[in-house]
Amino acid sequence: MAKPISPKLNYYAALLAVAGGTVVLIPFRAHINTTTVALALLLVVLFVAMTIGSKPALLASVLAMFGYNFFFLPPLHTLTIADPQNWIALAAFFITSLAVGQLSARARRRAQESETARGEIRRLYEELQEAFDRASEAEAIKRSERLKTALLDAISHDIRTPLTSIKASATLLLEDRDEADDAAKLSSQEQQAMLEVINHGADRLDRFVEGLVELARIEAGDVHLHRNWRSIEDLIEAALAQAEPLTQNHKIEVMVPDELPVVRVDGRAVTEVIYTLLDNACKYSPARTEIKIGARLNSPDSIEVAVEDRGPGIASRYREKVFERFYRIDENGLAKGHPNGIGMGLAIAKGIVEAHGGRISIADPETSHGTRVVFTVPVGDDVVPDQKAQAKPKGAAAWPD
Amino acid sequence: MADPKPRILVVDDEPQITRVLLRSLTSKGYDVRIAADGEFALQSFRDSPTSLVITDLAMPNMGGLELCRRLRAISDVPIIVLSVRGEEKTKVEALDAGADDYVTKPFGMDELLARIRATLRRQPVKDAQARIFEVADFRIDLDAHVASRGGEELRLTPKEFDLLAHLMRNAGKVLTHRSLLGAVWGGDYTEQHEYLRVFIGQLRKKIEPDPSKPRYIITEPWIGYRFNPE
Amino acid sequence: MRSFSPVKSRWFGFVIAICAVGVATLPLKLLGPHINPTTVALAFLLIILFIARAWGPAPAVCASVVGILSLNFFFLPPFGTFAIRDPANWIAFVAFMVTAITVGQLSGNAKQRAEDAENAKREVERLYYELQDSFDRSSQAKALKQSERLKSSLLDAVTHDFRTPLTSIKASATAMLDDIYGTERDYAAPALDQEARKEMLQVIDEEADRLDRFVEGLTKLARIDAGDMHLQLQPASVEEMVTAALKRAEPRTRSHRLEVWIEDLPPVTVDEHAMSEAIYTLVDNAAKYSPHESPITVRASHKNDRAIIISVEDHGPGIRAEVRDRVFEKFFRAMRDGDISDRRVAGTGMGLAIARGIVEAHHGHIWVEDAGGGQGARFVIELPIDQDLASARAN
Repeated sequence: MAKPISPKLNYYAALLAVAGGTVVLIPFRAHINTTTVALALLLVVLFVAMTIGSKPALLASVLAMFGYNFFFLPPLHTLTIADPQNWIALAAFFITSLAVGQLSARARRRAQESETARGEIRRLYEELQEAFDRASEAEAIKRSERLKTALLDAISHDIRTPLTSIKASATLLLEDRDEADDAAKLSSQEQQAMLEVINHGADRLDRFVEGLVELARIEAGDVHLHRNWRSIEDLIEAALAQAEPLTQNHKIEVMVPDELPVVRVDGRAVTEVIYTLLDNACKYSPARTEIKIGARLNSPDSIEVAVEDRGPGIASRYREKVFERFYRIDENGLAKGHPNGIGMGLAIAKGIVEAHGGRISIADPETSHGTRVVFTVPVGDDVVPDQKAQAKPKGAAAWPD
Repeated sequence: MADPKPRILVVDDEPQITRVLLRSLTSKGYDVRIAADGEFALQSFRDSPTSLVITDLAMPNMGGLELCRRLRAISDVPIIVLSVRGEEKTKVEALDAGADDYVTKPFGMDELLARIRATLRRQPVKDAQARIFEVADFRIDLDAHVASRGGEELRLTPKEFDLLAHLMRNAGKVLTHRSLLGAVWGGDYTEQHEYLRVFIGQLRKKIEPDPSKPRYIITEPWIGYRFNPE
Repeated sequence: MRSFSPVKSRWFGFVIAICAVGVATLPLKLLGPHINPTTVALAFLLIILFIARAWGPAPAVCASVVGILSLNFFFLPPFGTFAIRDPANWIAFVAFMVTAITVGQLSGNAKQRAEDAENAKREVERLYYELQDSFDRSSQAKALKQSERLKSSLLDAVTHDFRTPLTSIKASATAMLDDIYGTERDYAAPALDQEARKEMLQVIDEEADRLDRFVEGLTKLARIDAGDMHLQLQPASVEEMVTAALKRAEPRTRSHRLEVWIEDLPPVTVDEHAMSEAIYTLVDNAAKYSPHESPITVRASHKNDRAIIISVEDHGPGIRAEVRDRVFEKFFRAMRDGDISDRRVAGTGMGLAIARGIVEAHHGHIWVEDAGGGQGARFVIELPIDQDLASARAN
């Protein structure tokens, strides 16, 4: 139904409608009685109300009433009415046409208003979504900045040190070339030593930056785990392989039962966790002592892995803090809050374990002294049991062979 | 070495590293060409015979991955990619795109030189259709379905046989989990890395003198496996 | 007219329809000779309208039917029968049917539409409030995800800028070590000749410097972020600062045509060292991003009695309007369109961020605009002459 363009036009339209209706009815005056006319004019008013609006319908009602009176109620062509019945009829007509007109128009208006309101709300909704996006982005940038600062914070000391060594060695080697005095020239051994310094410095820097970045990612909640079904035994094996140079001076004992279910984890990341624990165990326990790695089913849906050494152990009051980044306990057992690159391993391990939904903690050693680090990984939650059964390596016989 | 002076094409947009590689590789007797991006690399490759391509992965315009694909489309030339540590996905992609081996940056020159030597020494089974071929002291006869080492026959299950044959055919090349699984078991099994691990373990028990210290089937952690022909 | 609660079922409406018409018939009949059928018809219509508004089209139809029957039976002669004698009354009867149904339908439908629209409106309102809720609750999550993306590319940029020099350093050192071991093992002459060794050492040296500069930049950025800059503010001569910066940039600008226009300016209260560095960055950028032999124009002039302007203009490709704000972001170069391999131009992407940090710490402004007359960019620094005044105004 077309919306009228201007109010004046509406009234003209209403007038036209009533006039039209009246004109159409006049010729039939002989054959139809006043009831019919009333009903017909009523329809006109209704039509006006539905298509144009309530005020024009009001006008239509009034006009129709006069038209009805003038053209159809005897005496014709006068506004007087002879028959009292017709007075009542006229009144009834007026009332009814008003009612019909106004109520219909109102209903239509309500419908329109609701539509408009709905349109408004939708617009607000979209604006809100937009603001949502913008605000999130602003907040994202803010968080990003904050974390960048924290990252940059740790940089100075741990980067400057190896960098200085590299620079110093390189400078010495370069200057040595121009050294005319043969006696003062660096021997081949000395040159070699300097180059080793440079080489190791580069390695240290590389490891540091990598740890830093990984830590930053973990703190940002940006741990992208590529989960796959893996057996804990494999991961332990991989970690051991990686840690081989470190574990030369220790006795490694691995205790993993056969029937452990596979877990859905990021293999590389969990291997890194085990590697870190191994690394720490080797670093902080005397040579030729035992390091035990064990795994067991903790509960129907989690596996516990423990790495235990025979070193001095960690006092209870530090057992939480060692997982803080850059935390390190020095020889006097005193806490060191100073940024120190090597203190990142446990923080990273914690980040990885927790990203899998597990927990990591320092437990009491099984024997008299030592450090026992325990972490859990959930077996795997959001996967169809079918796949689980399929993935068990023991079922290899079921495979096409 | 196949040629008296193998030509190595080094593709990297970092001038400092190419300086070092140029000096070092030249001093080892290689003929070195440098290209700063994929386009120049392809040009150089077409212009003159190349024995080996070493390419960085992150480069402007055409990246290393794309270069691998384009090179593979026109040649079997060995490709070693230089990748950043921790980016397993990119390494796997590069290997699947046709690279033979990878070296993680920052690398020791000794490591790179060793990989170069190994790659150049590798003589891929020339005839892809060959039914009998030998690598190291292993011998495989596809028609007779017999595998042997040092003359002694190996008792392998059908899949172990297929696996060994595929590894031997691509000796020296790093094969990703998915490419191995796809080649031996077919497309539906490419994500079942655990299964592959089991079979590799079984195969190792049968062919390795010391399965706990594998000599022939080398694990490339999180990437795949490699058959070492030496 | 009151709107009835929609809880009232349609069945109730049907019942009312029948009753209402029935009930109305009685008094109308009693009014007998005083009213004519027109009035009755209109009265029934009112009822039908009422029913349509309250219970919808279907009960209205029911009322219409009952009304039609009643009208015929009770009010159209002969009374008490369904026959109609007068043809005019037949027409009226039909007209009534039509009107009744029409009114019933239209009104009923209008009511329906109104209800539907109301429901829809309420639905949307609900969604809106829900969204507001989830906005508050999950703006964390979304921010995190977006921040992840940002951070990832930032971290990628940082690691890349670290790893690249490290790679060259390690490659050089190990190449030389390998050579030494080789000579020892094989009792052979070293494969690397003097030139080669020299070059390798140079690479180590240069790349170590590069790393150092990068770390330096990062630390500065960190300090800027933390508001921790330790500026030493003193009256300084603009000419001296600019000259110092240009002198430092001389190796870069050698192959460009440098034009310097410095007005007679009062001393400005700045950290001379820091400001000179900011200017140096602009000049360095200009040299880096514009072709050889092209002019670089450095100007220092009054803006008004409270501020001065220092600008550096080049004839390079210029800066696209869309990124003019972003060039001052940390690592922008590396983050451009998220493509860290877009390293066509050298640099770490920190210089401008640092320059901005410095300028803003002085309560100044820095921006980039089109170079006058054609291609190129003009970087502009506006500085207040009096820091105290400026900082007072800022607080």
